Amino acid sequence: MTHSLHRTGYIEGLEEDFPMLTHVARGYNDIGAGERLKEMAKIARKYTDLNFGDCKVANKFMVPPEEIMEKHTVGWQVVFKDKENLIACMEELKEKNIGISVIVSGLFDEVFDCCQKTGITPPLIEFALGIHGNKEKIWPPEILDFVTMCGHGLVSSNLVKKMLDEVKKNKITIEEAAIELAKPCLCGIFNPHRAAKLLRKLTQ
Amino acid sequence: MRIDAEKCIGCERCTYYCPVEAIHVAEREDNPKKKRSWIDEDECVECGVCFRANVCKPQAIYQQELKWPRVIRKSFSDPMVEFKETGVPGRGTEEMKTNEITGRFKKGSWGMAVEVGRPAVGARLKDLELIAMALAERGVKFEPRNPVTFLFEDVKSGKLKPELRNEKVLSAIIEFEVKPEQLKPVLQVIKEMSDKVESVFSVDLISHPEEEEKGPALKIVKEMGFPVYPNGKVNLGLGRVLNK
Repeated sequence: MTHSLHRTGYIEGLEEDFPMLTHVARGYNDIGAGERLKEMAKIARKYTDLNFGDCKVANKFMVPPEEIMEKHTVGWQVVFKDKENLIACMEELKEKNIGISVIVSGLFDEVFDCCQKTGITPPLIEFALGIHGNKEKIWPPEILDFVTMCGHGLVSSNLVKKMLDEVKKNKITIEEAAIELAKPCLCGIFNPHRAAKLLRKLTQ
Repeated sequence: MRIDAEKCIGCERCTYYCPVEAIHVAEREDNPKKKRSWIDEDECVECGVCFRANVCKPQAIYQQELKWPRVIRKSFSDPMVEFKETGVPGRGTEEMKTNEITGRFKKGSWGMAVEVGRPAVGARLKDLELIAMALAERGVKFEPRNPVTFLFEDVKSGKLKPELRNEKVLSAIIEFEVKPEQLKPVLQVIKEMSDKVESVFSVDLISHPEEEEKGPALKIVKEMGFPVYPNGKVNLGLGRVLNK
């Protein structure tokens, strides 16, 4: 899966958007991984409460986090809005040395800076080389910035438009709209903080 | 997915949740003054978002029994479903996420992925076949553990099982490794396919960190006119072998 790659947006928005995911390696560290993943999830959740999920279970807006943590099998996802908490989390995960792979997405300059500050040397990186094909089918950038926060494509463009409309009509708050948009993204890598900022920008 | 016409009250709330705009509203046959929602099954990718949204008060949305080849739609659209034929969850593989343990991508070559239907558009699998066959002609060998590989009638040529060509999915990923001499011709093929597919696709490159902004692969990528996003994925290298 490449579901935390290809997030679009301006630099200032991406500066507050750092998905983190864990993944077991089948045949190498998958036996009894549930407890290890739970221990790592507890650490990560100390530093961010924006979102949390497991695509085989649900995200925290659908199922309580404690219930999600009891069902981990291959991995979980969270998202950070700031480097300070991301660095603190990376430090603790490194120190605890639990042994499951951790991946952080975001602006390379920022993520590499976090790695340097925590003494982590990344062994591999993945680049996004753009969108190709029939580009007439792609949503406009202001919608794409929301929908690409769910790499599985589960957040509908029409839901984004509906939430924008409801915010403008004062039927719903920006924060409520951001959470409604986060719900379909099962993994929990949709960033409601960034979504709220985008909603605010587009409705003011 | 289907909507029980008898139960549906035509509130339209479910229509906003469909990522591929497959839910429509029509007049009721039995009462033209009232509406009902219906799902265009040719466009529906079986992602289950409308059902999970839990916005249907009369609970009219339901999952019908899915048989081959339609069941493929769900496997490549609903992340909660494991690909039964392979036991591999999701649409791809562990790829770079566990590389510090598996050593799948070695220095001296690069990992690549072409994901049809992404971002948030969806695609017919015939688009995937077009790209796969063109890549296979350039000597590309597809990742054997990727669920897509099991859709091919002939894995060497990239030819799909014919009954799958018109199946629509949210996205499907072709994963492969490229040697230095393959990178340019492979990128050229990808560029050429851009005008031939009906939908969209996204492209990834997996490399070792010394590549960063200056490495040979990114130099070629940029020369070939591909954009390189300032954001991407970084494996922190915290995994290790634990199974005894």
